[in-house]
Amino acid sequence: MELLSAILIDFALAFCVAFCWGILFGTPWKALLMTGLLGGFGHGIRFILLQSDFGLIASTLIASVSIGLVGIYAAHKVHNPPVVITMPACITMIPGLYAYRSMLAGIKLSDQAILEKEPNIIPTIAHNAVLTFSLLFTLAVGISISALLFRNKSVKEIRFIKNRLKLKGK
Amino acid sequence: MMENKTKSTKQIKANEVAEFILDAGVFLMASGAHSGRVWRNCKRMAEHWGYRMNFNPTFTGIMVSVWDDKDSENAVTRYKTAPQNSVHLETLTQISHLSWKIADGETEYDDARLELEAIKKKAHYPFWLVALAVGISCGCLCTLAGGSPVDAALAFCGASVGSVARYFILGKQFNQFLSIIIASAITTLIAGTDTIFGLGRAPEMTLATSVLYLIPGVPLINSVIDLLEGYFSASIARSLFAASIVSCIAVGMILSIMLLGINNF
Repeated sequence: MELLSAILIDFALAFCVAFCWGILFGTPWKALLMTGLLGGFGHGIRFILLQSDFGLIASTLIASVSIGLVGIYAAHKVHNPPVVITMPACITMIPGLYAYRSMLAGIKLSDQAILEKEPNIIPTIAHNAVLTFSLLFTLAVGISISALLFRNKSVKEIRFIKNRLKLKGK
Repeated sequence: MMENKTKSTKQIKANEVAEFILDAGVFLMASGAHSGRVWRNCKRMAEHWGYRMNFNPTFTGIMVSVWDDKDSENAVTRYKTAPQNSVHLETLTQISHLSWKIADGETEYDDARLELEAIKKKAHYPFWLVALAVGISCGCLCTLAGGSPVDAALAFCGASVGSVARYFILGKQFNQFLSIIIASAITTLIAGTDTIFGLGRAPEMTLATSVLYLIPGVPLINSVIDLLEGYFSASIARSLFAASIVSCIAVGMILSIMLLGINNF
């Protein structure tokens, strides 16, 4: 029960993040709700996987790929290109904390006294920087999954090809 | 359908098609579309007007060649510089719809031109709404990362104030990198009070999440997508742009952290 409420809270917070990020990126008003739902869904999956010890990068990859795949279907529902809603949804998992930690350690590196006090500072930078870049890469893979799987096709052509032919026949 | 195609081929010169494609293409590029999307949209329109096209997208501009297979005189190669990058995903939706309308023969060239101009003039969400949204999302991110409500409230204040400051600096036509440095410095100053006075439970999260609204997520992700699809020059330009924005954020944070005293962090 506690776990369920934790998942629900996670979903709600991620919904707010994705919704608001949609406003920042200028996603159309009608698609904002879908963006929020998609963001909450993706972050919820990541939360569940993290709870079951999947590892940070693996769970982020799975979550962003599922956002990318569900986004293709959701984009049809609101008549938008998939990127418009998957981009803000994936941003909920942006590795801000790791980027900040590697930057802060980088500033500290310039100070001799701190360097002597904390000799582990270079491994800290390297670890956080590698985490930041791999997480960013997994997000990009999740968003471009539609482009990778359905090469050189517009998403509109994948599913709607029958309807379009019907329309043209009229 | 076929009749329509031959009719429009006679009417529209390659030069006009190239101009339309460039207009739509650079605007899409600046609004946050990856090169593959620009290519698909432009090709769709050119093919309906009976032309073949090829283009070289870079982040700063597009070079396009448009030619007619049957008439070798009717061909043109042109270049256009892209406007300043400002992410607006609604543009992607509308130009995509416009290109489908053109491909289905529902719009003629002149009407499409007018519609493109209208799309270009479309306003972004008002700045106060963006500031509010940015604040809420940074507050939520802070809570997600494990911050207490006090941390989240400070992240909200920092992000909102920084976002408003950035809007006014950009309105005065300053360089956008400068605007990012100042916005991140202001945000860090506000969020840093959490660490200095020990207000919340996890002050580190406040600092880390409150500047996230400046992160160039769209260019960063687009650069990887372009890399995967083989548009290398666009990918390198985008990642360079994103990297310089990220370093500007770092510079702003460093300024504030130095001001507040590095030993406190």
